[in-house]
Amino acid sequence: MAITAVAFYTLATITIVSAFLVIAARNPVHSVLFLILTFFTTAGLFVLMGAEFLAMLLVVVYVGAVAVLFLFVVMMLDIDFAELKRGFLSYLPLGGLIGVILVAQFLLVGSAWVSPENAARSPAEFGEGGTAEALGRILYTEYVLVFQLSGMVLFTAMIGAIVLTLRQREGVKRQNVATQVGRRRTEAVVLKDVKPGEGI
Amino acid sequence: MNPEISAEMVVASLRLMAPETFLAVYALFLAVLGAFVGDRGARALSTLTALVLVVAAVGSVIYAPLERTEAFNGAIVVDPLTAWAKGGLLLLAAFAVQMASVVFARDGSARFEYPLLVTLAALGMCIMIGANDLITMYLGIELNALAAYVLAAFRRDDSRSSEAGLKYFVLSAISSGLLLYGASLVYGFTGAVRFADIAAAADPDNVGLIFGLVFVLCGLAFKISAAPFHMWAPDVYEGAPAPVTAFFATASKIAGVILMARILMEPFGDLHDRWVQVISVIAGVSMIVGSLGALVQTNLRRLMAYSSIANIGYVLMALAAGSQLGVQAALLYLALYLPVTLAMFAGILALRRQGEDLERIGDLSGLARNHPFMATCFTMLLFSLAGVPPLVGFFGKLAAFQATLDAGLVVLAIVGALATVVSAAYYLRIIKVMWFDEPVARMEPAGPTLAVTLAAGTVLSFPVLVVLLGPLETAVRAMSALYGP
Amino acid sequence: MVGYDFVPFVEWGTGVEWTLMKVGQILAIVVMLLLTLAYILLFDRKVWAAVQMRKGPNVVGPFGTLQSFADFFKFVLKEIVIPAGANKTVFLLAPLLTFTLAFAAWAVVPIAPGWVISDLNVGILYLFAISSLGVYGIIMGGWASNSKYPFLGSLRSAAQMVSYEVSIGLVIITVLLVVGSMNLGAIVDAQSGGLHTWHAFKFLNVTEPATVAVGVVLFVMFVVFFVSALAETNRPPFDLPEAESELVAGYQVEYSSTPYLLFMIGEYLNIVLMCALITLLFLGGWHLPWGAVNDPWLGFLVFYVKLWLVFFVFAMVKAIVPRFRYDQLMRIGWKIFLPTSLVAVVLVAAYVVFGRGAA
Repeated sequence: MAITAVAFYTLATITIVSAFLVIAARNPVHSVLFLILTFFTTAGLFVLMGAEFLAMLLVVVYVGAVAVLFLFVVMMLDIDFAELKRGFLSYLPLGGLIGVILVAQFLLVGSAWVSPENAARSPAEFGEGGTAEALGRILYTEYVLVFQLSGMVLFTAMIGAIVLTLRQREGVKRQNVATQVGRRRTEAVVLKDVKPGEGI
Repeated sequence: MNPEISAEMVVASLRLMAPETFLAVYALFLAVLGAFVGDRGARALSTLTALVLVVAAVGSVIYAPLERTEAFNGAIVVDPLTAWAKGGLLLLAAFAVQMASVVFARDGSARFEYPLLVTLAALGMCIMIGANDLITMYLGIELNALAAYVLAAFRRDDSRSSEAGLKYFVLSAISSGLLLYGASLVYGFTGAVRFADIAAAADPDNVGLIFGLVFVLCGLAFKISAAPFHMWAPDVYEGAPAPVTAFFATASKIAGVILMARILMEPFGDLHDRWVQVISVIAGVSMIVGSLGALVQTNLRRLMAYSSIANIGYVLMALAAGSQLGVQAALLYLALYLPVTLAMFAGILALRRQGEDLERIGDLSGLARNHPFMATCFTMLLFSLAGVPPLVGFFGKLAAFQATLDAGLVVLAIVGALATVVSAAYYLRIIKVMWFDEPVARMEPAGPTLAVTLAAGTVLSFPVLVVLLGPLETAVRAMSALYGP
Repeated sequence: MVGYDFVPFVEWGTGVEWTLMKVGQILAIVVMLLLTLAYILLFDRKVWAAVQMRKGPNVVGPFGTLQSFADFFKFVLKEIVIPAGANKTVFLLAPLLTFTLAFAAWAVVPIAPGWVISDLNVGILYLFAISSLGVYGIIMGGWASNSKYPFLGSLRSAAQMVSYEVSIGLVIITVLLVVGSMNLGAIVDAQSGGLHTWHAFKFLNVTEPATVAVGVVLFVMFVVFFVSALAETNRPPFDLPEAESELVAGYQVEYSSTPYLLFMIGEYLNIVLMCALITLLFLGGWHLPWGAVNDPWLGFLVFYVKLWLVFFVFAMVKAIVPRFRYDQLMRIGWKIFLPTSLVAVVLVAAYVVFGRGAA
């Protein structure tokens, strides 16, 4: 148990510090890298709780795919963040006030915390197949509606992205593999018998 | 452990949700069809989609169960209220598709993705209406919202449309964040996502639960553009393509209000004295902001945006009563207000001169002399919106005030009355411009779709139809009884 | 706090003995891998040379057998050069990350019956997760160099790896569906019945028509996986990130000395890992074509030989196939492999549900 406690506190500390650095870092690329670190250590926390399937999914989906695209976009941006942050201080009174109110709320809510009986079950209950099997079982039965709806949401997002970005430009040369492959020698090459000294 | 669902139960649930299933399948089919046909077939696909939406609407009403039935183990509710609401919003969606097909054909920007996105948005709204647990609710909202962002930015080469889409997206994402944060608090403090289970576990003295509730309400208030979460509405109403605006102003209000009513009455019905201040403040601020904001507008669409903010205020005022009477008044208000709004937008769409869309109030100058029919329709609609007695708008407001006073929320009712007086001023200003100002050049003739919509909406706002009010009220009363107090 | 019992999915042992044993296992695997790497590098160059009718490295040691060690010392003893405009931390972090991740992946790879450092339930998913992280080393290296060729190379590489990961994931899913487990040991043991039970050659099992059908699908998946593995590891013919005729050396341009060595080790280790994965998922792992193997030493030998054979094909591909153009690469990934593997997932799932009774 001691070793899991050490692991938990290490991971939790790194998570919080790197989450803070996501906001505090001056360089946006560093922000994204810290975000990735946060995802990664969060996955570690999932592992400690026995939710190994979720942990792996978090790494595969968020770290392996989503954050790569983030990084991609941020690296390509040419934004002067110092310029963007100018005038930042003038929002400090209002922002600070909202921040203080939020912190007060968190404290209030946190102090009222009572664990409901059925909010969460220990992953130990899932038995042999582990959380992957347990998740699969309820995802395709009890939550099949939610599962399919999420599919529709992603479908909408995909259509939306295409609508907003795809432009059929005129005058673009496109490769048509079928015609390329289907080309015959007779269409492409003409054999000419050139007489010496006459040219074509 | 959770109760397992068998394949038979899934099929039975899907049958209960026949309109949604139909729409989902049709959306996938349409995407494939559109990919093959391309934008040349956009017009035909629009007509097909409008037909499909009408079929789904009729199906929803015909196959509605007579009493409250739950599908998917309680994730979705189907009852006469949801069935009629779905029917109504699907009809509105069909109108949006058909009107857009006219408008887009005029400037040659018709694309097949438009009917597809409207179908998906309508599907999301149907889910919102039926949602009976937090997850389904969120997914419904998100499905609707994702389609809505794209619809708002649909004219991507138009800077105002892009601005509308971006603004809507950013602010809506924040509100989704609030909603999710609230939902997770509610789940954390009750251990339940199903509305019925939340109601069973809800403890009025639980601070965390109250915070969760407030966050959820803020998120929902954004979706129905209630003040102080209304900032997006004027820009989106102005920038988005006009048929899309009409769709936002009507269909999404049905979904939002019914969802709001369900959230307030079912999981948090026992917490009425906790949320009554929140809803009262939102309602009051909405009415004030909507009325005062509309006074200074010169653009008709922005004016309609502020008008819709104010009207949502009246609906929320009725809901604040927290009684069956309140829900009934809110539904009645909505049922009377929406056709009028739709007709208003059809009228605005029909305003064209020399191939340009007109949307400034000044452009209406002297409309009565050149186009007496249109001017009469507009006048009737505006009187109805202002709540002038013989017209239907009055009865909606009357019901809302009754419910509010019945619950003893006198201050709120006074604010509402003042707001009504202020709002009459700007409605009357338009009427004055139409009838008494010097006429400008003639408009282009409106197409049949727009003219029919305009006329139908006007007829629906006529005092003659007061006779219809009786049955409508009975129906609404029966439906509002479906909400557990 | 909720009173959870922590359920570690790695069974933590206790005591000094257990710790020492694990450390020993890890050291053994690392040493084995590094030695393998030294000779696989040499082998790669020798095969390449042979195809081009050259001799390849033949100076250091008999037949050049010590060439890799000479290279190693050359790299380590040189000075580390960091470009002036580079982002130092990220610049040095990138090769370290690549190197570490490449080794971390081996924690769940069984190399013989019962020989595995950590026998995870979700082993294959862990491998997939770790290999999807590999792209960061490349992006970070390219970006931190603050130079154009490396940046272009890293962008190409990121797009390429993310694209091919999709089809690799789907191919892995088909295998998982057939086996019904994500444990790599279980996947190998499902192929213990001889050649016709290996996933790549399941279509040889002529006694059952349904199995033959799914075997054909799996064979296609085997090919898709092999090609995707080439792309995922940036091997020729998909070595566009470092296409020397266009980008000098891609993301590695500014690297020298030990950081470069780390990159190189990481890259080749990933290649070896892919060879191992192909062996485990499709070629029966440590089982012989005519029957199961239970003896760890024999099993390790069989696995090792298969790994080298797969690498031989990798090396031959590098030697004889010309480099793809970038749009062709993307086209293959998204328009051919992705739909093919998606259809395959559907087919295999149908087989699992209907073909052999409910699983």
